[in-house]
Amino acid sequence: MAISSAWLVFCFLLLRHAVVELEASHHVYRNLQVSSSPSEHQPYRTSYHFQPPQNWINDPNGPMIYRGLYHLFYQYNPKGAVWGNIVWAHSTSTDLVNWTPHEPAIYPSQQSDINGCWSGSTTILPWGTPVILYTGIDPQDQQVQNLAIPKNLSDPYLREWVKSPKNPLMAPTSANQINASSFRDPTSAWLGPDGTWRVIIGSKRHTRGLAILYRSKDFIRWVKSQHPLHSAKDTGMWECPDFFPVLVNSELGVDTSIMGPDVKHVLKVSLDNTKHEYYTIGTYNLGKDNYVPDKGQVDSDSGLRYDYGKYYASKTFFDSAKNRRILLGWINESSSVNDDIKKGWSGVQAIPRILWLDTSGKQLVQWPIREIEKLRGHEVHLPKQVLEGGSALEVSGVTAVQADVEVSFGISELEKAEVLNPSWTNPQELCSKKGASVKGGLGPFGLLVLASKGLQEYTAVFFRIFKGHNKYVVLMCSDQSRSSLNNNNDKTNYGAFLDVDPSREKVSLRSLIDHSIVESFGGKGKACITARVYPTLAIDDKAHLHVFNNGTENVQFTLSAWSMKKARLDLESKL
Amino acid sequence: MDVRLIEQTCKQTPLYDVCVSILKSDSRSSKADVTGLALIMVDVLKAKATGTTNYIKTLLRGNLKGDVRRGLSSCADLYNTVLEADIPVAIEALQKGDPKFAEQAANDAGIEARSCESSFSGHSPLTESNKSVQDVSSVAAAIVR
Repeated sequence: MAISSAWLVFCFLLLRHAVVELEASHHVYRNLQVSSSPSEHQPYRTSYHFQPPQNWINDPNGPMIYRGLYHLFYQYNPKGAVWGNIVWAHSTSTDLVNWTPHEPAIYPSQQSDINGCWSGSTTILPWGTPVILYTGIDPQDQQVQNLAIPKNLSDPYLREWVKSPKNPLMAPTSANQINASSFRDPTSAWLGPDGTWRVIIGSKRHTRGLAILYRSKDFIRWVKSQHPLHSAKDTGMWECPDFFPVLVNSELGVDTSIMGPDVKHVLKVSLDNTKHEYYTIGTYNLGKDNYVPDKGQVDSDSGLRYDYGKYYASKTFFDSAKNRRILLGWINESSSVNDDIKKGWSGVQAIPRILWLDTSGKQLVQWPIREIEKLRGHEVHLPKQVLEGGSALEVSGVTAVQADVEVSFGISELEKAEVLNPSWTNPQELCSKKGASVKGGLGPFGLLVLASKGLQEYTAVFFRIFKGHNKYVVLMCSDQSRSSLNNNNDKTNYGAFLDVDPSREKVSLRSLIDHSIVESFGGKGKACITARVYPTLAIDDKAHLHVFNNGTENVQFTLSAWSMKKARLDLESKL
Repeated sequence: MDVRLIEQTCKQTPLYDVCVSILKSDSRSSKADVTGLALIMVDVLKAKATGTTNYIKTLLRGNLKGDVRRGLSSCADLYNTVLEADIPVAIEALQKGDPKFAEQAANDAGIEARSCESSFSGHSPLTESNKSVQDVSSVAAAIVR
């Protein structure tokens, strides 16, 4: 791997002399007249998900591990509970569960970001120094890409960052024909064996979403490639692209620059039009510098998703300490803006998940990081038993608003499954039409979470099994239609087909419940659905948890549930 | 005035007639691209929300029954959110090029208007205003998309 010595000298100079304009913090604040202090009673704040004490957050930015410390940056509005005045807020952690907050790391201070510091990514240079590429909004409201590096590498918290005086390093021009309002979210860069860095930036041309490719030898001068890394027609703007390798036949992660026969590549994009993300698995061709999805991969909004519920602007990073690829994502509110302003905050981060290629090679699998399990407290275990059709069993002994539940279902009478109508190809629509209260043959069976005593409110996460063509089809649903008596909430149902064969294995479900968020994992992470709910009755100590079976046939199940302790998001820094 | 752009854009909204009549009667639409048309619609939404807010203030000065007064106070708060949060977010998102935030903000204006309408247990004095805001909100959200 050749590294030009000129580049080495350049970077060294940059770091040693900190040659940049660190202008006085010129925060551009809009005078947002929002209501007075937020409500005292906060039934919806999460206890073990990452969120700041108040205000608006969105995309996770530049996640990384540096000298054993995890860093999370995120889009944050210091002034209110709606999007605006965006800066990069910053927290660090030793375990991705408990966090130490710091001052914002990146905020408007140059022409090239005076109107906003939007999303971006960290690249770890070969000798370990992290650098950030991010989107800035310039005085003409154009989207440009900027570079920031740590001011002081001996500060383990990397609290301060300095910006290149050469910013913007990549910008729309009449020559390159880049659409100035559709050019954002640079990824982590990857280094080829030819000593050239590559990075992609989300964009579109008319209705074709694309990943614009730029190359550089020194991380400062970037040259746009003639062709994008990849594009897809009619997908609209590609936001937050993410491009990374995954090992074939291993749950371990690899560094972003790895290539070769032992890996496949993944390209994920977030679609502005639909607010869904999708990914494909394919091959990175170094020679042509392009990416081609494998045959059978669906390259559109109908493709595979990390999460079939509320989940957006996700980003992965390689955790070199534990050799895993970690996925982070932004979960916005499903409540009205008026409710958000009243409670004084909006948005949470998902529980970090590890991500790996399924043995089939056709999809990715995710699972919450093991560290979250140290918050598990008192356990309730229900040993293997039958749950008759049309019955429910309350799970008592855990804090129903703040719990981790794992349940596994076995079905003996598979022949009684309803036949799947071949026109039922959209799982979200199917879950909307057939919520938890619609009886079935095999199913619906699953969990009723954040349920009020009289079941006026509940969120149901469940499965239905159908007989398809030559195999059984498992549908996983998260039904929010009865989640709250407050009709200002978005109570859309979510659904996914789960690639599990109920004739050969149990159908499993894990749900992480945390006041106003339910993150569910079906089939040990083959399908994930996150939902936001705001019960009016099933809050604090008045929420209940049940396992239910509203089908006509019996199922067997075993269940373990744990009360979850609170995470610390306000740890003091040790300096 | 690029009538074709207006018609094409309005065809993709749920209320073609409302959309066309607003845009055709606004002189700014002659020079506007789609983002410009969206900004015009957001401006109209702002005007309607402002009008409703002023009307609420006028009504509150009168002699009212308890539940009507309570409903109007809720509405004042809800429309404050539209004017102080939804509209500025929509404008900034359109100007800087992150349309999803504009779409969500425009959509939310309709949710707040609907919530206002439900604040009255009996007869609502704001039915027409609320409907008008909901209509423009759904058109604005669709144009942004």
